[in-house]
Amino acid sequence: MMWSNFIWFALPAILLWLSSGALVYSKKNERLSNLLMLAGIAIFAFFIAGFWIHIERPPMRTMGETRLWYSMFLSIVGFVAYRRWKYPWLLSFTAVVATVFVVVNLVKPEIHSKSLMPALQSPWFVPHVTAYILSYAMFGSATIGAIIQLWKKDQNKGVFNFIDNMIYVGYGFLMLGLLMGAIWAKEAWGHYWSWDPKETWAFVTCAAYLGYIHIRLRRNKKSNTVALWFVILAFILLMITWIGVNYLPSAQSSVHVY
Amino acid sequence: MTESRNRKIWSTPWRYAESIAVVVALLVIGYLLQIVVGEFNFFLLAKPANYVIACVITFICIAIGLRCTKSSFARWLSGVEMSVSLIVALLLLTIIMGFTPQTTHSHSLLGFDVMTSSWAFVIIYTITLISLGALVVRRLRVFRIKDYGFYLNHFGLWLFLLCSGVGYADMERYIMHVREGETEWRVYDDDENIKELPIAITLLDFDMDYYPPKLAVIDLENGEVLPNGKGDYFQIDNDIPKGNLNGWEIEINQYIHNAVRNSDSTYQEVHMPGATPAAKVTAIKDGIIRTGWICGGNQAQLFMTLSLDDKTSMVMTVCEPRKFISQVEVYTKSEKNISAAIEVNKPLRVDNWVIYQYGYDNNAGRLSSYSSFELVYDPWIIPVYIGILMMMAGSLSMIWEGKRRKESENDVE
Ligand code: HEM
Repeated sequence: MMWSNFIWFALPAILLWLSSGALVYSKKNERLSNLLMLAGIAIFAFFIAGFWIHIERPPMRTMGETRLWYSMFLSIVGFVAYRRWKYPWLLSFTAVVATVFVVVNLVKPEIHSKSLMPALQSPWFVPHVTAYILSYAMFGSATIGAIIQLWKKDQNKGVFNFIDNMIYVGYGFLMLGLLMGAIWAKEAWGHYWSWDPKETWAFVTCAAYLGYIHIRLRRNKKSNTVALWFVILAFILLMITWIGVNYLPSAQSSVHVY
Repeated sequence: MTESRNRKIWSTPWRYAESIAVVVALLVIGYLLQIVVGEFNFFLLAKPANYVIACVITFICIAIGLRCTKSSFARWLSGVEMSVSLIVALLLLTIIMGFTPQTTHSHSLLGFDVMTSSWAFVIIYTITLISLGALVVRRLRVFRIKDYGFYLNHFGLWLFLLCSGVGYADMERYIMHVREGETEWRVYDDDENIKELPIAITLLDFDMDYYPPKLAVIDLENGEVLPNGKGDYFQIDNDIPKGNLNGWEIEINQYIHNAVRNSDSTYQEVHMPGATPAAKVTAIKDGIIRTGWICGGNQAQLFMTLSLDDKTSMVMTVCEPRKFISQVEVYTKSEKNISAAIEVNKPLRVDNWVIYQYGYDNNAGRLSSYSSFELVYDPWIIPVYIGILMMMAGSLSMIWEGKRRKESENDVE
């Protein structure tokens, strides 16, 4: 399965996700909506698996490839979180955001070549990247929750609970990704942390979410509002880490190409 | 939180106002020091100073942690408000760092370009370490097994920050270049000084393997890949023999990964060090058909291009390495004699040293007559790894349990 086949999987997946996201608001169609979402995820996963086999290396090296995983994890996380917390907006929002990333990949695929430089050929590569992208997906849904919470004036305890849990679980994955990266760097280059620009920004992201976690330990109306803004700020920093670092003057020789 | 609303700053218990004020004061002190004495020199921490400092910090953490029942100062220092203020300070400093290209010797007054050795960073780092250590001790006094995630995360991080911080100065790393067939024990440090190590390496063989190259069309006048500014490449891949390249319809008729040129300018497969990839290509545009061999060449063989018209040619790019591997024999003063293959991501551990594949002669590629190794000595690595593993276990507990604890006005106990 090649990249040129992507559109034949992408369009059906988008259609399924979006119709699921629309149908979820009617009680009558709840089951149907769930099935549509799962079908979309299955089609998408099938493409990734086929693509992986075709290019003979994990499809995690280029920006476009990490977006592929983001769309998939976001749809999965959105679905699981929706089942657990029963907020229909979760399903629709994650469906929309996953769609946006698929569309970006259709319009601007970026090069997908088979080569993988020796430093990236390591058993740590796949878990390192998947843990990261998974945490990004969870933080994405927490951010959606935080925006909704700031929008509505009365602060809903349930939504706060959801944000907290998403950030705890997402933070767990973020730390796993980071620490596996550190062990890998030691294997490949002899040092576990060298403040390369991507590492610096990864630290920034970690510190931001750590700030949220600790602010939320106090019961206090004012610090709750600060905490919600922190979720949004942290997500902006996360986007800089993920996408923006490549454009910074401080990062011209980084090993991280995505 | 009625109490905090009308309360005067600096009356106990201290909360956010006092924590933020103290952290800002620490930053101001840091920057004053930076201006007056310049950046912090980590190599002052070399053995044995770092052992003393590690002990002193540990002692301070325990002392403050034990004082928490009596002293509101100790409780504040290890409390939530102070931790948030410290984390936000680290956040701000590293954001500045993320936007400023880092160097080894500062060119700026405030040392933003050497952030991790600037005084402000070192001070905040140290206070965070003390706050964290005191917190762990304080919570250990009311030990509860269900808080295992808390202990793993905080003690793991403490151990990591302490040992990687003070251990930095004890780390040694050198580069060794070894010619094929020769034995070497001299190494170079960062400043190109030569040193002799208790380890010798004989390079028996160096070899590389490559990925298939790409094809491109270049402008013969300036050698640039067309179309200008946004070069188009065609990845050679046996599964996809046909494609388009800068307006030409192309087909790969034959691809030989290890090819040697015949006298009639065709290629045949030969496995020898000087072999290079070559492809026979047919290109079609507007009824014009061009067929011929293309080869990227190396030090042993000339390259070959396919002329398309007066102005353009089709060429092969330099191959990207798939792997490079050194067959070595390693001898130590402790009379060990080890033969091994060293490659990227597969270093060799010998006594306290770890030997990494570092480089080779990039121009010669596979024909490189030497291989370079990086030798690293890192005596603090074990506690650092313990810290990392504890944090990994702590992360799993966060994934497993989510947020359990409810918000409260005061700290635990
Ligand atoms: C790997 C990094 C860290 C993680 C994952 C983490 C996570 C957590 C979690 C989940 C809690 C609440 C759980 C509980 O109390 O049982 C907590 C509490 C706390 N953390 Fe952290 N933390 C980290 C780093 C830090 C740092 C760097 C500081 C301080 C400078 C800090 C200070 C605190 C404090 C003061 C509390 C409240 C403890 C209490 O009320 O007794 N943490 N942390």
